[in-house]
Amino acid sequence: MVYLFYLFAAISVIAALVVVAARSPINSAIALVVCLLSIAGHYILLNAQFLAMVHVIVYTGAILVLMLFVIMLLNMNEEVEVRKPLITRILAILTAGLLLLVLLAATRQGLEMSAPESFNPGIGLVKAIGMALFHEFLIPFEVSSVLFLSAMAGAMMLAKKDGTEHVNLPPSSEPKDPAA
Amino acid sequence: MSALILISVLAVLVLYLGLYNKKSWLAPLGILGLAGAIVLFATGWHIPHHLLAGMLEFDRFSIGFSIGMAAITLLIFLFGPDYYTRMQQHVAEQYALMLFSLVGGFLLSSYTNMLMLFLGIEILSIPLYVLAGAKKNSLRSTEASLKYFLLGSFATAFLLMGIALLYGLAGSFDLGVISAHIAGAGSSDLVLNFALFFVVTGLAFKVGAVPFHFWVPDVYQGAPTLVTTFMATVVKMAAFAGFYRFIDITGMPDALARIMVLLVLATLLVGNVAALRQTNFKRLMAYSSVAHSGFLLLALLTDTGPGSTVGATLLYYTFTYSLATAGLFVLFTIAKRANNGAEHNGIFQGLFAAKPWLALCGLAMFLSLAGIPLTAGFIAKYQVFLLAIGAGWLKVMGFGVLMALLGIYYYIMVARELFVPAEHPTTFVVTPLNGLVISACAIGVLLLGLWPALMAW
Repeated sequence: MVYLFYLFAAISVIAALVVVAARSPINSAIALVVCLLSIAGHYILLNAQFLAMVHVIVYTGAILVLMLFVIMLLNMNEEVEVRKPLITRILAILTAGLLLLVLLAATRQGLEMSAPESFNPGIGLVKAIGMALFHEFLIPFEVSSVLFLSAMAGAMMLAKKDGTEHVNLPPSSEPKDPAA
Repeated sequence: MSALILISVLAVLVLYLGLYNKKSWLAPLGILGLAGAIVLFATGWHIPHHLLAGMLEFDRFSIGFSIGMAAITLLIFLFGPDYYTRMQQHVAEQYALMLFSLVGGFLLSSYTNMLMLFLGIEILSIPLYVLAGAKKNSLRSTEASLKYFLLGSFATAFLLMGIALLYGLAGSFDLGVISAHIAGAGSSDLVLNFALFFVVTGLAFKVGAVPFHFWVPDVYQGAPTLVTTFMATVVKMAAFAGFYRFIDITGMPDALARIMVLLVLATLLVGNVAALRQTNFKRLMAYSSVAHSGFLLLALLTDTGPGSTVGATLLYYTFTYSLATAGLFVLFTIAKRANNGAEHNGIFQGLFAAKPWLALCGLAMFLSLAGIPLTAGFIAKYQVFLLAIGAGWLKVMGFGVLMALLGIYYYIMVARELFVPAEHPTTFVVTPLNGLVISACAIGVLLLGLWPALMAW
């Protein structure tokens, strides 16, 4: 198990480095897939099969495919090198360095902290999640359906073509709308 | 709970009716369902503290707020058929989204679990992001929608961070457990203070408190007037109900009180001072909404735990504020149509000469917002100041009185326009239903001002 952990850890770190270092956006996205898959491996090692499956389906399955689509639609597959002014680069390094410092400090503090609840190895199993979802958290589960329904209805309303002309006027010349 | 289900199913039914292009049926069906929901809530009045699986609690506070929100939505729906006369598409979706948002409001007034707080806020907000952009051919409406969406998501992130920290500290989402943990923790618990700060930030954004108010004027101005009415009334009530339920369990530790005092002072100052310079009526109402948030936050500040009368005061204040605001926005729409879509404060000119009754109704509502005696707005502010004195926040209360006096000026400035003769002839077209809504709002404001006991529990 420990060797598997080191294997997955090495894959995630290397893949994450490739995401940042790759010149082509497509390679970046594919490296991200590898990175996310290896993180799913970590979840399985932690006995959280359900989370691992959802992670693979949602992140690698849905979100990254969407990202790849966008990259291909925008035709960004040729190697693009983004030139940034020196000051931007210095500021970016400074910001990232500060973030690293904070994260390191937080991790060091976190080592000394103890969780209020002890770790339950059965918590990530499908059965445990099902029990929590359909017993203790049944009402939030049902109520979230209202949320998704309203989001879908709203998305349809905004996205549907309905004969209104496109918005291409500057704000000042917007025609007065007597309807409202 | 049955009312929650009723409204959710009603929204789906309204969506279905939209498929069959039955535009004239939408508002009557919605009104019928809302009336049914009010009756269902009212039947639960005598069963206080009805807990639902440890997630929702229907006590007098939540039932009162729910009935209030449903009643205001009903008034807005009465205004709907006239507002949407020229609109052919997506009318059903707009009604349905408002009903979905109302469900979020019900949840916010009755949650006992942080999960339900989050879901309530999201169900309240996501339909609003869409509704703000409902006028698809208007740049301002689209801008309002995008701005509200981006800033709202950012605020939600803060709220979630706070909830996560609270969960990490208390080991539970349940308000009772969190309350016990806060009571046991010292005031110097940095993580706890950050958690409270993040949750309050997320909620302060929703109520439009300074310095999280930047979206309010743009969104109120850009959104279609009916949606603005909904946002200024029902959403305000819901956000404050949710805010109160959270503040109530914290017992107001010192660190939180300090944040709240800053919020109150900044909100009162910026809301009232910025409103002085507004010439666009919708922006004026937006800053008026911010200013009223300041008074409501002052009421929240005095809340030191369960058993106080802060909940009753909040309900009275938000409901009477909503009545006056809803009526004024209907009046504004009538005046805007009469002036070819202009939105400045002068569009009310000549109303008294043309429709004396409506002008008097408008005057009553403006006076109520300003807080002049004999109207509900006065009783509401008076109750808030009494609470502040009782809790010992004398200096903050004094500042609040000063700002209330400042507020009278800009309301009277607009109310004056009602009686100024028009420069060019304008014809105000008032449908009977619109007249009914405006009269109901004005009479409600006066009645509640003369007999505040009508809404006491």
